Amino acid sequence: MSTLVAQPLVAIENLTVRFRGAQTVHAVNGVSLTLEPGKVLGILGESGSGKSVTLKTLLRLLPESRTDIGGSVRVDGRDVLALNPQDLSDYRGAVTSMIFQDPALALDPVYTVGEQIAEAIIRHEKIGRKAAMARALELLELVRIPSPARRLKAYPHEMSGGMRQRAMIALALAARPKLLLADEPTTALDATVQIQILLLLRQLQRDLNMGMLFVTHDIGVAVEVSDRLAVMYAGQIVETGTVRELIRDPQHPYTKGLLAANLHGAKKGERLEAIPGAPPALTEPPNACSFAPRCKFVQERCRAALPPAVQLGEGRVVRCVLAEQALVAAA
Amino acid sequence: MTAIIESAAPIVVPPLAKSPGYWTGVWRRFKKDKVAVGAGLVVLAIILMAVFADYVAPADPTRSSMLRRLRPIGTPGYPLGADELGRDMLSRLIHGARLSLFMGVVPVFIAFVFGSVIGVAAGFFGGKFNTITMRTVDVFYAFPSVLLAIALSGALGAGITNSLLSLTIVFIPPIARIAESVTTQVRSMDYVEAARASGANALTIIRVHVLGNVLGPIFVYATSLISVSMILASGLSFLGLGTKPPTPEWGLMLNTLRTAIYVQPWVAALPGAAIFITSISFNLLSDGLRSAMDVKG
Amino acid sequence: MALETHPDRGGPGTPLLQAKTLTKHFPLGGGAVVRAVDGVDFAVMKGETLGVVGESGCGKSTTARVVMQLIPQDKGEMLFDGEIVGGKDLTLKEYRRQAQMVFQDSYASLNPRLTIEDSIAFGPTVHGVSKAAAILRARDLLQRVGLDPARFAARYPHELSGGQRQRVNIARALALGPRLVILDEAVSALDKSVEAQVLNLLADLREEFGLTYIFISHDLNVVRFISDRVMVMYLGEVVEIGPVEELYNDPRHPYTKALLSAMPSMDPDNRTMEAPLTGDPPNPINPPEGCRFHPRCPQAQTVCSKVKPALVVTASEDGTRRAACHMEIPGSGHSRAPSLEAAA
Repeated sequence: MSTLVAQPLVAIENLTVRFRGAQTVHAVNGVSLTLEPGKVLGILGESGSGKSVTLKTLLRLLPESRTDIGGSVRVDGRDVLALNPQDLSDYRGAVTSMIFQDPALALDPVYTVGEQIAEAIIRHEKIGRKAAMARALELLELVRIPSPARRLKAYPHEMSGGMRQRAMIALALAARPKLLLADEPTTALDATVQIQILLLLRQLQRDLNMGMLFVTHDIGVAVEVSDRLAVMYAGQIVETGTVRELIRDPQHPYTKGLLAANLHGAKKGERLEAIPGAPPALTEPPNACSFAPRCKFVQERCRAALPPAVQLGEGRVVRCVLAEQALVAAA
Repeated sequence: MTAIIESAAPIVVPPLAKSPGYWTGVWRRFKKDKVAVGAGLVVLAIILMAVFADYVAPADPTRSSMLRRLRPIGTPGYPLGADELGRDMLSRLIHGARLSLFMGVVPVFIAFVFGSVIGVAAGFFGGKFNTITMRTVDVFYAFPSVLLAIALSGALGAGITNSLLSLTIVFIPPIARIAESVTTQVRSMDYVEAARASGANALTIIRVHVLGNVLGPIFVYATSLISVSMILASGLSFLGLGTKPPTPEWGLMLNTLRTAIYVQPWVAALPGAAIFITSISFNLLSDGLRSAMDVKG
Repeated sequence: MALETHPDRGGPGTPLLQAKTLTKHFPLGGGAVVRAVDGVDFAVMKGETLGVVGESGCGKSTTARVVMQLIPQDKGEMLFDGEIVGGKDLTLKEYRRQAQMVFQDSYASLNPRLTIEDSIAFGPTVHGVSKAAAILRARDLLQRVGLDPARFAARYPHELSGGQRQRVNIARALALGPRLVILDEAVSALDKSVEAQVLNLLADLREEFGLTYIFISHDLNVVRFISDRVMVMYLGEVVEIGPVEELYNDPRHPYTKALLSAMPSMDPDNRTMEAPLTGDPPNPINPPEGCRFHPRCPQAQTVCSKVKPALVVTASEDGTRRAACHMEIPGSGHSRAPSLEAAA
């Protein structure tokens, strides 16, 4: 190892998130991940897999009064879970910012797009209103909104869906964040618009050298934007590796099932390799493999204890006894 | 085309264990809400008190005594004092609950029936029928309820029946409006579309798919109007448009004791307190019902 | 009592459903009109699955609702097995026994106050089946859609998962013994692993009951998997229709091409480098003159903004493929159109 170890931009260790309520929900159960600066990690999972919760933890967006968070979350050297309110508001937007599926969550309907972006700039940088507006215009150009000078004075409802998404990205970039969190930002968009936004995000991320965590349920989308992928199931990362490794050589039965269910290249008349059943309810913390009840390769061990995290290579981890057995057999 | 094949043997449907239904869930959630349960118990106590007033009240509510006018709270034989004619306050409050509750519940109930019919029909059929019905309802809704009640009672003349009638008319528009908006929401649900797609007619769809989903919310809203109705009825009595003395009724008692506010302020405030406690209990009860009936997928 | 099964009357050569110039406009007030469906012609053959694809505002859901007669068309007519829908030989009520629909939102399409079996049994009772017989039929159907009636029949919708609810909705649609089932984004809201289960189920049921599907979806992979033929819609019009593999492998309309190349590549070494189209799909209020796609079309020429292209037979000898593009119409005036001599 060289002495100049680059500090990762994001380092999450053994994160657990539990929601208290009429019924406790163990949403995230021991997630560890790292993201190098300027890289994109796609987090792939179905509804209830904990992917969005993990993302929200990075901005401390979860309701603190009824959420128990364990483990550690470090972004750009900061201990996110320990930030005081002042540091937190400096951190939000300037270090890490987020884009959502529904721009209505991020854009305020009563202010023009320009005012909102300028406001976000002024909050983090000591510059005047005029200069902030000029930079807002630059940002709209950056996200390639047509006739940006006119759109600066437009209200969110006066824009089309794709345009609002671009405006929201401009707003998220206002304070030059080092980390962009994307929570299914293209899911609600039409196919021809989705690809435009994906390409835009990919280019912005590269040009601005931002790190990006991209949460999605759509493998195709994840492949388009990510360098590496993490597959989540029942609040845990079950497999992680480069996009190439996961698409070409998936190891976890769940990843394999997801790839088959994507129907890419599925032929008419064939039966789909569908994963039976449905994800668990997460009312208990897992003490065995959460996927075991749906897995066709299930063994005694899977139901007895948590599956081992098997290291297959640099940054390539699979949580499955099969991977361990394959490794032993090969050795 | 709609031929039906008769089968000879009678069909037997094996019964299944019903999973706990919707109302079981409502009751379970309601039981957890301590405030709502407390309010419900208070309402129940007041109702029982009103029903059994003859047995509960220590004295005759109309027996006056010039010697014992305006006694303070705690006077022996007059636990809550005596009013301006020396009548026992406690007994009058207990007996007054009858009319006050009656004036609170009955107009709202009648308005619930009429308002629901108007609102559900307008919401379900939509279009021009909706526009005409709801604009007519809005004309009444435009008047402040107090003014409307006073104007109607004034025009119809004083008396219990007329104040009942005017209060009913006051409450039909708000209930119809809620019924219309809830029905419009339910009507656009896919299960109503699916029912139409199965060839069912409007009445069947309303009976099976709409009423069950709208009556609950309308009922909860109506419950919250009971307190308003009680206060309005008290107001009408206060103005001399409702109950006639010496019949005990909280609003009327408040009116007649008004002059004694400097002599026996605590006694004079009692009917107001009774109205307050009853109406807030009804409100808390309806709030609790509303959140208990809120199912989340 | 049980429902009678429907005889096949027109024979295999008659399409099960034929839509002729279906048109549905929604007035907005102020003279503006949403031209949601504008002269749509198509046929669905018996036993086949017709996929319908397109982006928001293309009119695919409105088409579904008109076909189901949940909203009446302004113009045009539909023939079901050769008979006019709503005419004297096929009343609307009778048509609704033969055509059924499954909606996208599995929760909103079930009455929350009814048990699962009551929801499924509702349709048959409307058509005169006794309650007891309808309940038995409901339990049988639950079994066939893969839900154990003993466990599920008496439950309420909120106690089921999304995938289970959508199975119930499919059972409900089948309760009347329909011949045509319209699936409007019926699997779109489901998680991928559950979606695959439901797609398998739909394929099995099609076999078992001899069903014909109209399958509406925005997911081109799913449509490719389940459909025999595909219809592509854009701003209320059909731009291309044809057998699924031919259409996917050799799209003729520039919009179909764009739609297909906008699909994520699923290949990390060969990512999409350029978006096929810029901007959003326009909304169907005051659509462009001529070809409605011309403002976004990379190959648009003068003729495209002036003349509306007809849906003509293309790229096939047997006439199974049609596209509405001037580049496919001989002598249309587009420089890439085949010459008239070549066509003759």
